[in-house]
Amino acid sequence: MTGREQLLWVVLPYLCLVTFIGGHVWRYRYDKFGWTTRSSQMYERRILRIASPLFHFGILAAIGGHVVGILVPKSWTESVGVSEGAYHVVALSLGAVAGVCTVVGMALLIYRRRTVGPVFSATTKNDKLMYVVLAATIVLGLVTTVLGNVTGHPHDYRETVAPYFRSIFWFSPDTARISEAPLGFQVHVEMAWLLFALWPFTRLVHVFSAPIGYLTRPYIVYRSREQRPARRGWEPVSRPDQRGR
Amino acid sequence: MTEAGLDSPAEQLLVQLGRHFRKGEVSDDLRTLHQIGGRDADSFYRDRWSHDKVVRSTHGVNCTGGCSWKVYVKDGIITWESQQTDYPTVGPDSPEYEPRGCPRGAAFSWYTYSPTRVRYPYVRGTLLRLFREAKARNGDDPVLAWGEIVGTPALASQYKKARGKGGFVRATWDEAIEIASAAHVHTIKTWGPDRVAGFSPIPAMSMVSHAAGARFYTLIGAPLLSFYDWYADLPVASPQVFGDQTDVPESGDWWNASYLMLWGSNVPVTRTPDAHWMTEARYSGQKVVVCSPDYSDATKFADEWLAPAPGTDGALAMAMGHVILREFFVDRTTEPFADYCKRFTDLPFLVTLEEQDGRTVPGRFLTAADLGETSEHSEFKTVLLDAAGEAVVPNGSLGFRFGQQGEGSWNLELGDTDPLLTLYGGTASAEVALPRFDAPDGSGSVIVRGVPTCEVAGHRVTTVFDLLLASYGVDREGLPGTWPTGYDDPSSPGTPAWQAEITGVPADKAERIGREFAQNSLDSGGRSMIIMGAGTNHYFHSDTIYRAFLALTTLTGCQGKNGGGWAHYVGQEKVRPLTGHAQVAMSADWARPPRQMIGTAYWYLATGQWRYDSFRADAFSSPTGKQRFAGMTTVDVLAQSARLGWMPSYPTFNWNSLDLGDAVKASGQKPGDFVADELAAGRLRFSCEDPDAPENFPRVLTVWRANLLGSSGKGNEYFLKHLLGAEHAVQGSEAEESQRPRDVTWREESPEGKLDLLLALDFRMTSTTLFADVVLPAATWYEKHDLNTTDMHPFVNAFTPAISPPWQTRTDFDIFHTLAKTFSQQAEEHLGVRTDLVASPLAHDTPDEMSLPHGQVIDWRADGTRPVPGVNFPKLAMVERDYPATAAKMAALGPLVDSLGATTKGLTFDLTGPVSYLKHKNGTVRGGVADGRPRLDRDTDMCEAILAMSGTTNGALAVQGFETLEKRTGTRLADLAREHEGKQITFADTQSRPTPVITSPEWSGSEQGGRRYSPFVINVERAKPWHTLTGRQHFFVEHDWMAELGEQLPVFRPPLDMHQLFAEPTIGSLGELGITVRYLTPHSKWSIHSEYQDNLFMLSLSRGGQTIWMSPQDAGKVGVGDNDWIEAVNRNGVVVARAIVSHRMPEGTVYMHHAQERTIDVPIAETSKKRGGIHNSLTRLLMKPTHLAGGYAQLSYAFNYLGPTGNQRDEVTMIRRRSQEVEY
Repeated sequence: MTGREQLLWVVLPYLCLVTFIGGHVWRYRYDKFGWTTRSSQMYERRILRIASPLFHFGILAAIGGHVVGILVPKSWTESVGVSEGAYHVVALSLGAVAGVCTVVGMALLIYRRRTVGPVFSATTKNDKLMYVVLAATIVLGLVTTVLGNVTGHPHDYRETVAPYFRSIFWFSPDTARISEAPLGFQVHVEMAWLLFALWPFTRLVHVFSAPIGYLTRPYIVYRSREQRPARRGWEPVSRPDQRGR
Repeated sequence: MTEAGLDSPAEQLLVQLGRHFRKGEVSDDLRTLHQIGGRDADSFYRDRWSHDKVVRSTHGVNCTGGCSWKVYVKDGIITWESQQTDYPTVGPDSPEYEPRGCPRGAAFSWYTYSPTRVRYPYVRGTLLRLFREAKARNGDDPVLAWGEIVGTPALASQYKKARGKGGFVRATWDEAIEIASAAHVHTIKTWGPDRVAGFSPIPAMSMVSHAAGARFYTLIGAPLLSFYDWYADLPVASPQVFGDQTDVPESGDWWNASYLMLWGSNVPVTRTPDAHWMTEARYSGQKVVVCSPDYSDATKFADEWLAPAPGTDGALAMAMGHVILREFFVDRTTEPFADYCKRFTDLPFLVTLEEQDGRTVPGRFLTAADLGETSEHSEFKTVLLDAAGEAVVPNGSLGFRFGQQGEGSWNLELGDTDPLLTLYGGTASAEVALPRFDAPDGSGSVIVRGVPTCEVAGHRVTTVFDLLLASYGVDREGLPGTWPTGYDDPSSPGTPAWQAEITGVPADKAERIGREFAQNSLDSGGRSMIIMGAGTNHYFHSDTIYRAFLALTTLTGCQGKNGGGWAHYVGQEKVRPLTGHAQVAMSADWARPPRQMIGTAYWYLATGQWRYDSFRADAFSSPTGKQRFAGMTTVDVLAQSARLGWMPSYPTFNWNSLDLGDAVKASGQKPGDFVADELAAGRLRFSCEDPDAPENFPRVLTVWRANLLGSSGKGNEYFLKHLLGAEHAVQGSEAEESQRPRDVTWREESPEGKLDLLLALDFRMTSTTLFADVVLPAATWYEKHDLNTTDMHPFVNAFTPAISPPWQTRTDFDIFHTLAKTFSQQAEEHLGVRTDLVASPLAHDTPDEMSLPHGQVIDWRADGTRPVPGVNFPKLAMVERDYPATAAKMAALGPLVDSLGATTKGLTFDLTGPVSYLKHKNGTVRGGVADGRPRLDRDTDMCEAILAMSGTTNGALAVQGFETLEKRTGTRLADLAREHEGKQITFADTQSRPTPVITSPEWSGSEQGGRRYSPFVINVERAKPWHTLTGRQHFFVEHDWMAELGEQLPVFRPPLDMHQLFAEPTIGSLGELGITVRYLTPHSKWSIHSEYQDNLFMLSLSRGGQTIWMSPQDAGKVGVGDNDWIEAVNRNGVVVARAIVSHRMPEGTVYMHHAQERTIDVPIAETSKKRGGIHNSLTRLLMKPTHLAGGYAQLSYAFNYLGPTGNQRDEVTMIRRRSQEVEY
């Protein structure tokens, strides 16, 4: 393992992951009122109505694809009888649809953000940085996959990227595997680490507060106070006529 | 019946599923979830409304709101404010005052911690360095050090040239005060106390802060500069007609009006907290008519909108008056109107007709002296005819007001006399030559109209009413002269058709509104009201506009009636506790008289604007005049007014007034004799006759509670050039040799940087502090104790500190006491006890009013006679100035209030009771000059003193005042205040709730029994005379100068023609510098004067930065689009702003909202290559000669009562689109 590999594939990922986890804890504790999507629906609705679902459903599918492709070892899928070829066809077809949705949705969102005055005015430097990193990650991922398939030399990332990624969580990073992956994949992965590091400090935190619970919740919520021990000096005093009862 | 449940089966399914996976109990109908706990977030909104304290305060911003606010403090920080809702009720059948407040007031707390907050004392670095070096050279003596700096031109020019260019450094309080004090001591010693001046306007907005400084300046003998006339808010017509200044109804009285005209007053914008009365009154049937050249915010409330061309309102009002006179006085007699006019106006009084240049012109009032009567002051008792045609001298005229014989008969009781309004029906008549000025260029010509006459005591006379009909062009059969053929005759002044050609308002509309106004008054008993304001009051000839308005309200008997009359709102004029404030502010408890100066004249001279004033004083003379101003310029007229004692003039003489005092003492002569001798010998001269001589101009100026340079300073560039010696953009040149003054000395070199010290106290950086030499950090309105009252409601409001003054800020009260202490120390060595010769003008509401029978000018200089002080020369008084005792005197209530009492509007109160109360309330001083006197060394002490020494806040004093007045009038008055005789309003009362005032003789209205305040109610209901010549409301104003300008009677005068007077291009013409348009500076929706304009909230609500509103037509002609950068240029200066192109604006007129601060978005101008100016960079002072008239009856001087206005509405400018690339 060279020093460079160590830095890129070990130090950086762990730093990013620590930041990701620690950052969210910090954010949740100290900036609860800032935990928001920073929605701009108030300023513009027409483009948003199309672009936002396009992007969000696209990226959800893409995330699902990543879960299947990276977290699930190749051996598992093969053991249930999914051949590499079949996997590839399914992944590519679904992935392409999701990828196109994501990219088109994102392009529309960025276009809207830049051209609609009020939306642009409500865009912070933080947002801009986040957009750059997020867009770079997505585009790199898509481009790498598409280029590989177009040139007819699709790379089987399940042999390189996926084992490396899983190995991070066993605390014995397999840098050799990732070093074998083509440059495109490598850059995509590095970008993703950076994105994770940035995550807790941006509007991306809203991922963890998606309002899924509303689907199954009654729409009126009554909350009563929990029983609390009385503070010293504030204990309830019984009325004289109730004494000795 | 369906069962309770959710909207769809799918939802039902989801929730049913979910209930198994979540904590808490889901109800059977699936609609509610019950959970225990999870309420931590409550603390957020509970905490949001929990505060350390909530404090009552208000804003002293001259907005007239006078709103009471809750100020919230959390963790020691002011968080926000909200409206108080505890105003005492107005009573049944009426809306209430609460809540009051506007978005601007609600944005105030932003200033507390704003980036522009002045947090520390600042001195310009150059000056601080010079001072430290000079002090080291002068044995550590600050006064000698200051003397060296200002006495060495090379040093002085260093810091003067740096003005306005930043460079402030923090100084300690000690050092900043030392510098300021040294400048004061040095100037008094070298040049005299009247070379120092204080400027702080509108006492009512924060009385104690005003009085603290005013007290210091009056104690040391420095003049206080007037503001009301200077702001052009002072309606000169008010003294002319009423002999009183701006006594107007509270806004609650609008509710009582059934016909309301808004004429030049944009109520929703400029009286925001009061506007609800107007909208509410409409629900009780009130008709609202708006007269405004633009589609103003008020217009949307209007039932009718009249849009006269800017400045032509007088013609419209004249036409309405024409209709009223024709239909309610001539074609038929309406008894209520006729009766009102006979009792409460000068209309039945007799005026002589005189021959002049072969023409007959109105002369003067016939007096008892003409009848051969020799009673006391018979020259000032006017005469009328009774129904039998006998000459009668009715009670109530000036001749009854002063002196023994008039006691008990200064009243409006007519007894059995039924005055004759008109002589029509007799045999004699005369053709009277009347002036008309309705040509577009304003030049005068003569129209001849007949009046019925008769002979009384050898004089050919007519009545004021007959003259008025002639002036308004209302003809009666058989009278000679030129008359209109009817309402539709445009050729003859007065008719609706005539005004249509001038104003653009359709004739039939003017006719109908005039008729409605009068008919409504007839039907409702005088409940027709005109709300008027700066929109019509800031013109050069505004007094003529206002007299035409007042004719409408007076002829129809609306003055002195609830719901009727004039309602002039401009600034926050009404200091309800008037007497108490005047005593402490003018130091009347220690020394009298104070020096009080007319602001406009002061600036006209001090800023060198007179040198650019190229028009002759006789430019406005009437063809019926006597050429009294021939060969004179405005500054000559000013000098004449000063030497006759009509108007104050400070600096007064070319000697130090302290040296003059010494010289008088040494001579053993009377001051008048000594001064007359020295004048005759040519050794003594009036300063205003050589205003540019180094010994004659002011040296030290303090501005507090004001933004002189950013707000009221008409001719801003001239201020910068001559007063301050800073960079400027004056475009025009000085008057040519042939246009220069006759009597006043012209020096080839005009001094620049006259002022040695500009001291500013403020809590924010303004256009004034930026040019000051020393800036002292002041407390805001949420950081001090003070009092506030307004014209708009009858309550006294308190300021209370929500927090202590933060950083190194101090209250104005503290600052002036600090200054006084250092000043007193420095004075020990450098000044000591001196005698000051104080010259003061002939005063209103005193016997001085009778020094000039008939207002005839007798100029001792022209006649070569010896001037007589107090007759045709200022009064002279020797006043002792114990300079080292200044601080001690400031901090205690002096003895003169006991021995001399307090005089307000001619009525003297005995203050021994209040003084003894104050000794207990405030405690007494031990030792020193003020031993045993009530203490005034805390701001709350001063609040108590003001409240205790005023009738409006001390019931016993109100009753006492009325009882004193009863002796003079012989009528019953004291019952008006009896209900509150035992009531003393304390400062604590005002802090607990808005506190209504008590009916008092200091004012002319009545609040008895919870009645709404309306002016002149006491005059009308209790027959108490107005403070005028006849004791009635005047249509005919007698004075030589009024006759000279042809304004004895209401007459229309158009806005000034700047093309003809100053060779500016004509309106609408296109040139290299763009299109020429009328340039008006009305008030903004997003600021109060300059305040709030720089406030982040208001900047967000408005477009932000300097803007000029243009019509699409004008903008189109010069290719200006909305929000483009434009440049406006005229002879006075340059302005860069963004254009707001709006259909609201009429063609040919632009608005640049008043007082937009140079601190916000002002780029460098292309024309001057300097930072673009502000709204006042395009204006310049123009004084009207009649505003300087004095010495007679109601045309006598009082502070902020009468004086030349700083008008600015007649201006024009050229506007073009400039490069859109701007640099700062």
